Amino acid sequence: MSPGQLTFEPVIPVWLIVLLLSIGLASVLLQYWLLRKRLNRSKSLALSFLRLAAISLLISFALNPSFVARKEHRVSPSLAILLETSQTMGLSAKGDRRSRLDEARELLLSGPRPLLKILREKFDVKLYSVGESLTAVEAGDVAGLKAGGKRGDLTEALGKLQEKNAVTVLLSDGNLRWEDGHSAGPPVLSIPVGDPQEYKDVLVKAIKAPSIAFREREVTIDVTVKSYGYRGLTLSVTLKDGARLLGAKSVAIDKSPAEASVSFAFTPEEVGQHNLSVSILPQVGESVLSNNTVELSLKVVRDKVRILMVSGNPSMNYRFMRMALKNDPSVDLLSFVILRTPTDILNVPLQEQSLIPFPVETLFTKDLKNFDLLILDNFSHQLYFNPKYLENVREFVNDGGGLAMIGGPNQFTGYAGTPIGEVLPVKLTKKEDYRRDAPSRVRLTRIGMIHPITRISSDEKDTLNLWREMPSLDGINLLEPKSSGTVLLETTEGTPRPIITVGNYGKGRAFVLSTDYSWKWYMGMVAKGKGNWAYFRFMEKMVRWLTKDPALGPIQMILPDRPEEVGQVREFKIKMREEESSLAQRGPVSISVFNPEGLRIDAQLKSTGQPGELAGTFSPQKAGTYKVKIETRAGSLEELMVVSGPLEDQDAAPDPERLRRVASSTGGKILTRNDDLLKEIEAYAAKGERHFVEERRVPLWAMTVTLPVILILLGMEWFWRRRWGLI
Amino acid sequence: MISRRNFLSLALGISAFFSIPKPLLSARFPHFFFAQLKYRGGEWDPNPQYVEPVVEELELRTSIDGEKERRITTLSDPDLFFYPFLYMAGKYEFEPFSSGEREILRRFLAYGGFLFAEDTMGAKGFGFDRAFRTEMKQIFPNYDLKRLPPDHSVYRSFYLIESIGGRQKVNPSLEGITIDTWTPVIYSQNDLSGAWSRDKYGRWTNECVPGGETQRFSAFKAGINIIVYSLTSDYKKDLIHHPFIKRRQNQ
Repeated sequence: MSPGQLTFEPVIPVWLIVLLLSIGLASVLLQYWLLRKRLNRSKSLALSFLRLAAISLLISFALNPSFVARKEHRVSPSLAILLETSQTMGLSAKGDRRSRLDEARELLLSGPRPLLKILREKFDVKLYSVGESLTAVEAGDVAGLKAGGKRGDLTEALGKLQEKNAVTVLLSDGNLRWEDGHSAGPPVLSIPVGDPQEYKDVLVKAIKAPSIAFREREVTIDVTVKSYGYRGLTLSVTLKDGARLLGAKSVAIDKSPAEASVSFAFTPEEVGQHNLSVSILPQVGESVLSNNTVELSLKVVRDKVRILMVSGNPSMNYRFMRMALKNDPSVDLLSFVILRTPTDILNVPLQEQSLIPFPVETLFTKDLKNFDLLILDNFSHQLYFNPKYLENVREFVNDGGGLAMIGGPNQFTGYAGTPIGEVLPVKLTKKEDYRRDAPSRVRLTRIGMIHPITRISSDEKDTLNLWREMPSLDGINLLEPKSSGTVLLETTEGTPRPIITVGNYGKGRAFVLSTDYSWKWYMGMVAKGKGNWAYFRFMEKMVRWLTKDPALGPIQMILPDRPEEVGQVREFKIKMREEESSLAQRGPVSISVFNPEGLRIDAQLKSTGQPGELAGTFSPQKAGTYKVKIETRAGSLEELMVVSGPLEDQDAAPDPERLRRVASSTGGKILTRNDDLLKEIEAYAAKGERHFVEERRVPLWAMTVTLPVILILLGMEWFWRRRWGLI
Repeated sequence: MISRRNFLSLALGISAFFSIPKPLLSARFPHFFFAQLKYRGGEWDPNPQYVEPVVEELELRTSIDGEKERRITTLSDPDLFFYPFLYMAGKYEFEPFSSGEREILRRFLAYGGFLFAEDTMGAKGFGFDRAFRTEMKQIFPNYDLKRLPPDHSVYRSFYLIESIGGRQKVNPSLEGITIDTWTPVIYSQNDLSGAWSRDKYGRWTNECVPGGETQRFSAFKAGINIIVYSLTSDYKKDLIHHPFIKRRQNQ
């Protein structure tokens, strides 16, 4: 306890206290002067002194004098010991059978005087394991700890331990998540386990690849490979799409550790999701094999929608369709217009004609597969096609292509009984089917109101009104839908005739517009001052639907950006298009998830509360590519998801450098087992030793002796006054 | 009491209904017809007999089905926007369009309509030419009516043309107003329709000077190219045509 101190805390202003003291002194001097007239000097002085002492004591209470006593206390420091238990701690420490976790345990528990025991005697020791989370453990449980799970997050762990401990002792191989520059928390004394010199491994360290690529445009995938413990080795790195080899590269390794990069360039040809994998052949004595292969998912989309359009003759319909297709930057249009038929007579030599031969053979045998959509516009095939071309068109649609048949006097009749007639969603007869006797107005059917092609405004009422306002059509093909066809737009007069009919064939889609006057929908709206957007949107949506643009698909799956790991619940959102959600609500929505072996696993679907939105979840138990399939009455969707294992893509080599950075940024130190660990820990703990001071304050006016002293002074004065005859 | 005129019309109509055979499908539904603009003042119809010869030629040479009767229209016609080919001709200065008419024509042309105009007198800066250029400047103040370059699609839409014929040879090139890649207004001062015109006995109405029949032939070729251009726009600019056209031009 430190010596006491007298302190003053005046209860009234000091100037007032001085004034009162001055008045008191003046009154005592006056009293002395009066007493001197009746008493001798010594008696007068005695009485005045007693009065002065009493007044001074009373006034001095206004200064509120206190006696302060301080006592210092010392708190024994607390110490956190963090033992890493993530999967890499189960790997060999020095190339032998003993694991890194075993080495850490030995440091704490072995020897005649185990370090843990001594520390517990001297400090308040708290033990934690750092694996997937920070877990408090008892000293007796250390021997039974097992390595497993993903990398621990040291930044998060130290954040939780902040302010609770004087010092943290970390036993780890350095394979922990750590944000460089993080400095909060107690100093960390890092004790590395595992020997980097003894570690042997080759791994795919990093892959730089786009998640989306364009069909027939070269994609480059940059791969970084790393090796530990091998010299004079040539690694073979391969890139595969499923089982198909896309490329193989050799990498020479001449030092340890070594890092090298290779690039694979390839051109995807098929649209869809591709399950790619980059692999390195396993080497003798490797510590980890699972990081030799990394899987990735690449979504291949069209860069442009490629359209082949064949028009039977120059027409307004051709010109306005061409204008709309050319207006769409995502469309690559190749069009042929039959400018003259074999019956037309040419009256100039070849060099004065601009006509080019119609390369029908090449187009309808070799090139057709390179297109996404074929538009036949009022085109009579008889003069140009042989039966093989018609079959090729059917196969094109069957394999996923789109076919749009635009009506007119030359269209449809000749296709009855052909493979194209089989593809179309309308019934064809060999009778004349074109009519131009009375203009026909159009209306949407029930499905047409919600179908992506004809729903040209997000508002149902606007869509209905827009189509109602469209000018009448001067010519239509008199067709009837097949039972498999869906009529979206029909005539209003008499027996309704389909104007727009759609249907599916194989993997592809077919669209029939039974008029060559759809261009009037463009100019009709322009005449009303409403611009050309409705026609452009209709054409754009027609193209998107026929080419199965995912944005127009009934279902969309939104995957999380971050790839998940084994054991974590994988969650994703499923959105149904507004116009499909009502349909889907009437029918069941089912989810099927297949693991990398193709076996169906448990998966759940629940509503998110948002209209047309569901959340799907499943728990992957092994690494690899999972297939998720969503099915509704409106359609189905399949997506691939890559789930990585705990050691995949992971460099599991002991990383003392990271531990050094941890120690440095927290103000700690990196130790080795050759250091005097106890001494080092004690030195750091001493720095973190905590003290506190207890302070006691005793006000003097509250002391019991104060009042009697004043009374004695006043009593003595009264006594002497009486004795000397003044009272 | 039915008038003589009405009686004759009725009789002709009934006889036509019973006697005229049904033509072929493709001939019944033309993709093309002339819609001739009738305006105030000047002379809106200097060559009334031009349609049949040029449409016959069109059907003979191309796959386009044309209508041999023109339709007469005005800028206030509600069907104006549905005419594929608006034709305007004249010799003399005409009355300026009203602001409403200009707005209709501007909207029609700016959004995809097509106008072929001819000064059949061929007097630069006078008469129809002056009035037409003034109107175009009013309608498209930011675009000029200027000579169409030799690589314009209208010179290669069907025939490969180097020079424009006509009843007269005032300008070997066509002029036009081009907005982006589309030329909605094409203008000639060579009197193409004068070269096309034929009387009911099949005789050419006008001599073509100075080139004679070669110049007339060239006028027909130009007419077909303009019509094909109005229905295909810049189709001939597509890459696939380039090597063929270049090879033929070099022959």
